[in-house]
Amino acid sequence: MNTIDATEHYSSSAHDRPPSLLTVILDTNPHAWAQLSQPSATALPLSTAVANILVFLNAHLACNYANEVAVVASHTQEARWLYPVANPPTKKPTDSDGDTPMQQQRTTTNRPPPANEMNKYRPFRIVEEQITQNLHDLLATTTPKDLEATNSTLMAGALTLALSHINRRTIAWAEAHGGETDPNAATAGGGAGSTTGGGGGSAEVTRSTTDSGLQSRILILSVSSATGSAHQYIPIMNAIFACQRLHIPIDVCKLSGDAVFLQQAADATKGVYMALAEPKGLLQYLMMAFLPDQRSRRHLILPTRVDVDFRAACFCHRRVVDIGFVCSICLSIFCEPLEKGECLTCGSTLEMGDYGAKPAVVARKKKKKKVRAGANAPSATPTPTPTPGP
Amino acid sequence: MADSDEEYVGEISGDDLNGHHVLSQGGAAQPPRSRRKKNRGGAEWEVSRTWESLVEGADGTINSTVEGLLEAGKRKRLLRDTTPLQRGIIRHLMLVLDLSQSMAEKDLRPTRYLLSLRYAQEFVREFFEQNPISQLGVLGLRDGLAIRISDMSGNLTEHIGAIQALRDHDPKGLPSLQNGLEMARGALFHTPTHGTREVLVIFGSLLSSDPGDIHQTIATLVNEKIRVGIVGLAAQVAICRELCTRTNHGDDSTYGVALNEQHFRELVMGVTTPPATFSQRPSASSLLMMGFPSRSVEAHPSLCSCHSDASCGGYSCSRCSSKVCGLPAECPSCGLTLILSTHLARSYHHLFPLMNWVEVPWQCASRSPACFACGINFPSVPSKDQWHVADIQSKGMSISSRYECTVCRNHFCIDCDLFAHEVVHNCPGCQSRTTFSGTSGLVQGADVTDKMDTSI
Repeated sequence: MNTIDATEHYSSSAHDRPPSLLTVILDTNPHAWAQLSQPSATALPLSTAVANILVFLNAHLACNYANEVAVVASHTQEARWLYPVANPPTKKPTDSDGDTPMQQQRTTTNRPPPANEMNKYRPFRIVEEQITQNLHDLLATTTPKDLEATNSTLMAGALTLALSHINRRTIAWAEAHGGETDPNAATAGGGAGSTTGGGGGSAEVTRSTTDSGLQSRILILSVSSATGSAHQYIPIMNAIFACQRLHIPIDVCKLSGDAVFLQQAADATKGVYMALAEPKGLLQYLMMAFLPDQRSRRHLILPTRVDVDFRAACFCHRRVVDIGFVCSICLSIFCEPLEKGECLTCGSTLEMGDYGAKPAVVARKKKKKKVRAGANAPSATPTPTPTPGP
Repeated sequence: MADSDEEYVGEISGDDLNGHHVLSQGGAAQPPRSRRKKNRGGAEWEVSRTWESLVEGADGTINSTVEGLLEAGKRKRLLRDTTPLQRGIIRHLMLVLDLSQSMAEKDLRPTRYLLSLRYAQEFVREFFEQNPISQLGVLGLRDGLAIRISDMSGNLTEHIGAIQALRDHDPKGLPSLQNGLEMARGALFHTPTHGTREVLVIFGSLLSSDPGDIHQTIATLVNEKIRVGIVGLAAQVAICRELCTRTNHGDDSTYGVALNEQHFRELVMGVTTPPATFSQRPSASSLLMMGFPSRSVEAHPSLCSCHSDASCGGYSCSRCSSKVCGLPAECPSCGLTLILSTHLARSYHHLFPLMNWVEVPWQCASRSPACFACGINFPSVPSKDQWHVADIQSKGMSISSRYECTVCRNHFCIDCDLFAHEVVHNCPGCQSRTTFSGTSGLVQGADVTDKMDTSI
């Protein structure tokens, strides 16, 4: 009887590799892409990049039949889902052009595939169609006026959306597979920090939680430079710490420019940071450096960046600074001493410590001079003070 | 209320005259005195009858009610005060562990001793997660003595290692609360005034075997502005309540008695949130100049200026470029405080808390078929006559399962609500629109809701 017991079937299926969810955040900032696609040796137009990304997504889907992908566009004026858009009416009614995109989408998704794509693996085809369609919509709805208003990208919003989706999928996966990975337990138990120094003790907790549940990671394809994202400093840092608690690595693939906060994100979450020397070879970089999931990464030497820029953005002028003035009550960072002596965030009256006025080195010299001057004056008298007694 | 407490305490201190004395009061057997309303604190659960709140649904099952209760529970954890208040973010805390014989009890699994050691380690981790530039020290109470387990420092591994080492010992003897407090007071004596001074006691005993008058110790603690929080494991103890009340300006909410393992954990972890500072305290705050050095890796090893060790990587001081091997540190050559900006940023969600989201009535529900953040479908809007049927549900919970951010007017599900407020501390809606188009979108959104309302 025991041989035909079904328990063996279940136990073997429990040892299957858990699927992984890859969330790609695509920075679609038109300003930066315009620069990147200018005809030169290293030019990479957006269309080529998207084609490369689609191949990469397909590769991820092909690794495991249960793998999932999600794509968020981080545009100049909004962050929007490119895939999955489960039900087209989720489009916010606040859109400037109400119903038209929905109608188009319905017709396109129900349309039979063109003849040359009839034999394409269905998940690949759905992903490709939706992403290209939604990206097209997004770019079509971008007006010149939107672009004039800002030249940064909404990275914080895209990260938050990606995290919400990951949270939803993790809950759904745990419910479907009876995993004990209650999201609250995971956040509570995985609260152990790793950047605060020897966080070695938390490594075991990490493995036990990540091995059983859905594995998620975030890949950011970034083209904008950091100067624009300084006003999103706090939301970005909040998102980074959330990733750190949930053990979601943030991989950063930097096509142009340099982003301070994304370096910190990759460093804090133990993700891969790569600034591409040859943007043309995007596909190869993606396949070689970013395809392995967390489980494989344990056995690989990652091409991660060792120099990390840890500068912060000040709260008063949104400048990126490496020396700042910090309020001892609320830890707000300011780039220059405050005029009224009142903290702009918490309103407490602050005395300027003697730090800023004179550096310790200079202060010491002054003291020495004083001592010398003091020593010189009595040296005229026959008995200098420091002479010990008999 | 305060008067009666004083009177009660007076009696105890009367008993306390003969030197080495034992104070005890069992709370589980609640003597009539402490059955006053405010004094119940840890024992409120005794009167709540959870089964009475169950109502059979229309289909004869209690499924809907159970789900409602679950959601209400989630929501209850969420609804907290979001007014940004001044919190003491630079903290100095002594953790005092009871290591006396009463900790060998097995009412908490596996034993009170092992469980409290485990939670103490978690507490230390979470404490440094939440308060990255704070200091912590650990003491133990055993055999009537206070034992130094680890010194006041900001090093997480040192404390965890020291607590871990306690596992090999057995709980023994009687605890002395007074000795523990005196030692904690000594450790907190030199701490600077811009930080908080706190003591957290995990106390499993119902007695304290003290060499002198504990009330004098309490008075000194009050003088030195040291706040005491106690997590009891057995039952309420009068002296603990008095200690917490007097050292916290009359607020006794820092004294809690654990009902079970889960509650114990919650009580301990609750202390990791930085406490609100009292405004009457003279503020000795100052603006500190700090450097945020970047990490660099060199091809050839060079000497660091702090330990004179040869190493290949390190942080170079942003003012004088001397190499420091670890952070946080003070630059040895120019004296600038060097810190990782990520350490500071970790506490910013206390400064700018996310607003609580509001419940959405059916009237406004029709404009969102799915959660803005995760895309899960909401229950569809029922016909108008059913709108008020479900109103019996508990407060704080939305009948339409939608929660609205008051700033960006998007609707979210309960899971995203929880996730946004407890983990990310960002609103997905507000962050994914620029403020410029956000305001115009808001106006349009309001227009749309108006249209929707009339159409239903």
